[in-house]
Amino acid sequence: MSSLSLFQRIVVRCGLTSCRSMKKQPVKIMVTGAAGQIGYALVPMIARGVMLGSDQPVILHLLDIPPAAEALNGVKMELIDAAFPLLKGVVATTNVEEACGGVNIAIMVGGFRRKEGTERKDVMSKNVSIYKAQASALEQYAAANCKVLVVANPANTNALILKEFAPSIPAKNITCLTRLDHNRALGGIAQRLNIHVSDVKNVIIWGNHSSTQYPDASHATVITQAGEKSVKELIADDKWLHDEFISFVQQRGAAIIKARKLSSALSAASAACDHIHDWVLGTPKGTWTSMGVYSDGSYGVPPGLIYSFPVTCNKGEWSIVQGLRIDEPSRAGMDATAKELIEEKTLAYSFLD
Amino acid sequence: MAKDPVRVLVTGAAGQIGYALVPMIARGVMLGPDQPVLLHMLDIPPAAEALNGVKMELVDAAFPLLKGVVATTDAVEACTGVNVAVMVGGFPRKEGMERKDVMSKNVSIYKSQASALEAHAAPNCKVLVVANPANTNALILKEFAPSIPAKNITCLTRLDHNRALGQISERLNIQVSDVKNVIIWGNHSSTQYPDVSHATIKTPSGQKPVRELVSDDDWLKGEFIKTVQQRGAAIIKARKLSSALSAASAACDHIRDWVLGTPEGTWVSMGVYSDGSYNVPAGLIYSFPVTCRAGEWTIVQGLSVDEFSRKKMDATAEELTEEKALAYSCLS
Repeated sequence: MSSLSLFQRIVVRCGLTSCRSMKKQPVKIMVTGAAGQIGYALVPMIARGVMLGSDQPVILHLLDIPPAAEALNGVKMELIDAAFPLLKGVVATTNVEEACGGVNIAIMVGGFRRKEGTERKDVMSKNVSIYKAQASALEQYAAANCKVLVVANPANTNALILKEFAPSIPAKNITCLTRLDHNRALGGIAQRLNIHVSDVKNVIIWGNHSSTQYPDASHATVITQAGEKSVKELIADDKWLHDEFISFVQQRGAAIIKARKLSSALSAASAACDHIHDWVLGTPKGTWTSMGVYSDGSYGVPPGLIYSFPVTCNKGEWSIVQGLRIDEPSRAGMDATAKELIEEKTLAYSFLD
Repeated sequence: MAKDPVRVLVTGAAGQIGYALVPMIARGVMLGPDQPVLLHMLDIPPAAEALNGVKMELVDAAFPLLKGVVATTDAVEACTGVNVAVMVGGFPRKEGMERKDVMSKNVSIYKSQASALEAHAAPNCKVLVVANPANTNALILKEFAPSIPAKNITCLTRLDHNRALGQISERLNIQVSDVKNVIIWGNHSSTQYPDVSHATIKTPSGQKPVRELVSDDDWLKGEFIKTVQQRGAAIIKARKLSSALSAASAACDHIRDWVLGTPEGTWVSMGVYSDGSYNVPAGLIYSFPVTCRAGEWTIVQGLSVDEFSRKKMDATAEELTEEKALAYSCLS
């Protein structure tokens, strides 16, 4: 080194520096149902680094059905028009194999929506077909260790079908979104206490992403001047926590539809980003989140369902928070939502024969 | 210690662009990931319930940076104390409407919003007009808010600028972040002039001119220009709705670069109050190449303008002069 001139030493040092700060390889993210409302809200969030961090380049794979092909291409055009620095490519396709090719993360927003006059049974039957087919494609074409988030309703049961028909995808990699309900619960408590939402943490959403979900504030805390305090203590109104608060969270989706005449897209997309972000990059110390995950029987929840639990995440893996005390109302709530999930599973399976 | 929140107003917030824009603002895309924000959202009474739905969703998203949301149909409440105003609300052109009718409605809207902003916004409020006809709406706003410095009133041509970067990157099959320094001159309309004469590409051997690498002046002076000029219509054809995602994103880029500064060696396009640079008539809101530093924009001076460019720049100035005359005729 000493035989090099000062200039040469600087050049060598700069070369070494640029090696160390070499940009990350892009992560491939698939969004199904990408031509719809949630997709349109979600893709710019992903392209700006909300999902995986502001230094993580991404390649988007957008999938939708043939009737939506032109609209889907319009979304691709707008993504190009936005000149996002992190967005290293966009594939917009109606071909599920092309969409799944090499993806590291799959956000399943596409599904059959319930229309006025349709029976729950009809919707379930259509979604079972969709998720069975998509399971095969993912299993065959996605990258190893692909992380899957199912958003389309019935989210938990769609995720379960997907798991059943993609047996080589580890069960722990298949999740469904209850982060939206979790965030709504945080917001509801923040509004009640007239504080900022980022000062509330550790609510739990148990069970099904449906009206039987059980929003549980019994372990939630608030950051105050005098340290962390329990939400139960600060609200000092158990009746509110067991009635109004639960209704508020359970029915928030319907309240949004009533106001907007459309279902939640902005907040659902944001929650999907939060879910993946925390899964991949880890939950903050002392904080858990809610994710619909494959039950191992924890907390007396039947194994083999996709059920929302409190989880922490570290090094790309989620772990159910163990040892939380369950009071009587929570037990009843948790069991009711498990019961609904078992019924949904039975109904779904009835379409597979 | 956390920064004090910045108040950001979005008008027309219950609409498509607003719905795309507000989560971007709440995530820090507009002012940085460490800048808390307070959102003020304004829309007209028929949209009050939808607007409240947007507020509910913002609460439901539990954004750490979002320190509060005001959703209102009252322009005074909306404008109070705002540091940044993004004017998305306006009267859209419907089938069968004459240009004069649209202009007349928008002139009324921007005249009254100008008064509200002038009376109630924070000092040095930065204004970005998005609603079309963006340049002329911004000019009306400026005329009726005389105590807001002219330099604080701008319109959005960053969308066109980003579209131009995107088209070059697609043509050359390179990353869009490796293209810079296109210029959008003039009106955010089909007479805009997307100019690549000074644009460059980052290559392993340094910056190279776009003209050299594309090596097809016919395309650069023909199809490229048309594609950028008509991109809005192409999006409408594909989506059956106008651009919201890309418009919202461009609005964030415009404000972010204005407030936080443009990167060294890079300029952007903004519709700003003309001072006569490049022989563009003074007193129009015209899109120029600008750099930004310490919260101020400055027109990039000294760029050579060839004959082809001169004609295009003059044509779009002429259209703006006509729009100005039409707008003023609606005021009498």
